[in-house]
Amino acid sequence: MGRPQWRLQDARVVVLGVVMILAWAGIGYRLFQVQGADAAMLSQRGFDQRVRHEEILPKRGTIYDRDGIELAVTIYGSSLVADPALIDDPAGAAAVIGPLIGANIADVAVKLESEGRYVPLARQLEHAEEEVLATAIEEAGLDGFTFVEEPVRIYPSGTLAAPVVGLTRLDDGAGIEGIEAIMDGALAGRPGSRIVERDAAGRAIPQGELLIEPAIPGSDVILTLDREIQHTSELALGAAIEEGALGGSVIVMDPSSGKILAMVSLPSFDPNDRSALDPATLRNRAVADVYEPGSTLKVVAVAGALELGIVGPTTMIETPHEITIGNEVFEDHSELPGAMTVADVVAKSSNVGTIEIQRRLGNERHYAFLDAFGLGRPASIDFNPEAAGRLDHYSAWCYSTCGASAAIGYGIGATPLQMAGVYATIANDGEWVEPHVVAEIIGPDGERVVSEPRRRHVVSAETAGLIRQMLLGVVEGGTGRRARIDGFSVGGKTGTSVKFDVEEGVYSEDETIAWFVGIAPIDDPAIVIVVVLDAPTGLLDDGTELKFGGASAAPVFAEIAESVLHQLGVTPDKD
Amino acid sequence: MTSTTRRFDQAGSMLDTSDVPEPPTRWRRRSRANAVAVRERRSILLVVPVVMLLIVGLGAMLSASSVVSIRETGDPLFYIKRQVLWVGLGLAAFVITTRVPYRFYERVAVPIYLLGVAGLAATLFLGDVRGGARRWIEVGPITLQPSEFAKLATVIVLAAILARKGPLLRKLGHFAVPVVTVVGSISVLLLLQPDFGTALLVAGTAFSVMVASTAPIGYLAGAATLGGLLAVGGTLAMDYRRARITGFLDPFADPLDTGHQAVQSLVALGTGSWFGVGLGASRARWSFLPNAHTDFIFAIIGEEIGFVGASLVIVLFAAFGFLGIRIALKAPDMFGRLLAVGIVGWLSLQALVNIGGVVGALPITGVPLPFVSSGGNAMLINLAAVGILVNIARAGTSRS
Repeated sequence: MGRPQWRLQDARVVVLGVVMILAWAGIGYRLFQVQGADAAMLSQRGFDQRVRHEEILPKRGTIYDRDGIELAVTIYGSSLVADPALIDDPAGAAAVIGPLIGANIADVAVKLESEGRYVPLARQLEHAEEEVLATAIEEAGLDGFTFVEEPVRIYPSGTLAAPVVGLTRLDDGAGIEGIEAIMDGALAGRPGSRIVERDAAGRAIPQGELLIEPAIPGSDVILTLDREIQHTSELALGAAIEEGALGGSVIVMDPSSGKILAMVSLPSFDPNDRSALDPATLRNRAVADVYEPGSTLKVVAVAGALELGIVGPTTMIETPHEITIGNEVFEDHSELPGAMTVADVVAKSSNVGTIEIQRRLGNERHYAFLDAFGLGRPASIDFNPEAAGRLDHYSAWCYSTCGASAAIGYGIGATPLQMAGVYATIANDGEWVEPHVVAEIIGPDGERVVSEPRRRHVVSAETAGLIRQMLLGVVEGGTGRRARIDGFSVGGKTGTSVKFDVEEGVYSEDETIAWFVGIAPIDDPAIVIVVVLDAPTGLLDDGTELKFGGASAAPVFAEIAESVLHQLGVTPDKD
Repeated sequence: MTSTTRRFDQAGSMLDTSDVPEPPTRWRRRSRANAVAVRERRSILLVVPVVMLLIVGLGAMLSASSVVSIRETGDPLFYIKRQVLWVGLGLAAFVITTRVPYRFYERVAVPIYLLGVAGLAATLFLGDVRGGARRWIEVGPITLQPSEFAKLATVIVLAAILARKGPLLRKLGHFAVPVVTVVGSISVLLLLQPDFGTALLVAGTAFSVMVASTAPIGYLAGAATLGGLLAVGGTLAMDYRRARITGFLDPFADPLDTGHQAVQSLVALGTGSWFGVGLGASRARWSFLPNAHTDFIFAIIGEEIGFVGASLVIVLFAAFGFLGIRIALKAPDMFGRLLAVGIVGWLSLQALVNIGGVVGALPITGVPLPFVSSGGNAMLINLAAVGILVNIARAGTSRS
């Protein structure tokens, strides 16, 4: 076998073998490069494509009424997310998904053809909705769809107290209105984080490392609102607005504690139906709207004069039909005697008499009392935004006209909440208590923080008592007769201010803001109620125009007060 | 069943050793006893890398196929159960072919070739289209892939023809006509599926048989030039093949499309680095790397057991090639030699092309890794081919 040809043939096979071994060596060297030198870069690429640092959204706190009934609560739902890179047939997939999420098929198809790899198609899905979608996706054999857990904010009580409770933003769940906004820091909680490995379709890899720093849930907020009283108040105000008014607000408050039992702002909105949301209805009129308080503010000048001993309840005040101060003429609305006691000035709501009392008190001292009663600054820390109202420093008042105007509630702007504070001070024996709606905050660990309202001495208990008797007179025999209710002695004050058109900068010719602020029972007050109607129109049976507070706002007070006093179990003080 | 008769088919063949002088008697006695032992050791040695590759392959498949198994069938063991079954059938085929004298294939070479052509032709008419290609025929619960059998058939018929032609190969007609007929018919049928990767593989395998034959070097150069031109032309003719080339040259330029498989494959290997992420801990199999349990199984091996394990696979294939070439060198006749070269060339080239594609040294061609990738037909035919090699080894001379 040693012949040359044989060796040549052998050599050719040997060459094949050598080439093969060299090829393997080359492949091996390349493997060495990939798994050695390039490994760091490549494994980083792999890490980046599958490892996600994800935020865990904390469960937002619940908002309760004072009896523990849920007003706003977070449940876990999901959103449907598409990865267009994995979808072969966007049109076909859109035809399956579109009808189930209530979206136009063409719009969905456009989203499925987009460039991104994380395209949310439907948000805030509850579990039943997710199951229907998941089944359809499974049956159609679609790739590239996944459900991402997401908190869903729902409002079990619907429209009830909606402007107070507020709203969260869809994108990030942050509070943007009402208590949701002002208490956002407490409600939101703190996000946690986790590191999840996800496959190319975004599904979690079961064996992927999962480092979790748990989210800290938000605190629960318990409001002072009483669902029943709130409901009663909304019905009563709603009925009055139906009669013919642009809107209105009601505050029901416990004067001794400052707790707001009901706060109504109409027209309102349904926080569970964002598609129908009208931004104008989001405003909480009870704290955001500033009106001239009109006659309801007369009690401040009178209380000041009484407190300082400038007049007594029986002091006689000259009350001509009209007086001229500077170049302004002030007159009374109806025929009144030429002279009255201070009590009657209040009961009959005499402008001329009140201006005379204010003149004796003087601008500086009048201003001091207006300030002490809480005008010109936000009454509470619980609202966002709460208007400050308008109270110029007395040094800026015009020589005499401004003081006269201020006495009868013109030239000063007040929110319904500020007026609630004024009357609650009178009801609470002269001590101003901060009106508030947040009763308690309960942390995730169960720690409770109870609201401590600010308190401030304004007038003596004696002065407050005298004013209450005058307010009783208003209802018993004065302008507030329609606020009377069976079984309880009620005191209060009507008010009618000409509506100021902000856009035109002029007073309206016929539109008014109709007020009634009342206290009941008058000797041992349990509630203070403010009723404000925006531009009420129409006539009562006896021909009285509803634009006056005594005609439109006082009956709303009566309806609410009667019901609320019974709900609170207050003992009747009158036959 | 060792053949002890030395039969030479061709009168005047270059392999005819009848004129070799007999060695001295003493030496011959020793060598007779020695010869059997050497031949047995050589055949057993060849089996060692193959069995180790089978074990590595089943282990890698257990992990690589679990995700796709559970998503397609709900049973994470679906593919591995089938694979174990096919390995069993393959080992049975191996045992049978080790016992069939390899010269039998020379006699039935033409019928085997015709059967291979018929299988490929049937595929074109009866086959199921999957992923845009017609490569499989469903027969009850079994899926036949005639291209796997066609590779072996090509090797057998070429070895038979080139061995029989002997000195006639010096004439161009005697060389070119049979080679072009066999390689051309099989390649065209494969291209019609289309399966460009397997066609290239068949051509490359055929070339290794020609190199080992007595054909003049000039003809080989001509065949290589013609084949190379056809391969380049075929590559440029189709968009998706051009895309594979651009994806190979710079996979990171378009990592989501043309470079997708290459990038994901390299990422898997890089993630494995020196020692791997651990058995069953592959991340690439989670829908990042397509065909993780078939064409890209080597990437999963590299990811799970690192360079240490992946380079072992390369060493095993190199060892298989080395031992196979040695069997070819010691084959008792020209047909045995060409058959052995063809089988070793085919399986080694397929492994080189597959792993070369996975590590980014070659373009991706879509051929499976012998003994390792999922796929029953390939497993059966590959193990049967190894059995033939063993049979040739046992028949070999003890020349040292």
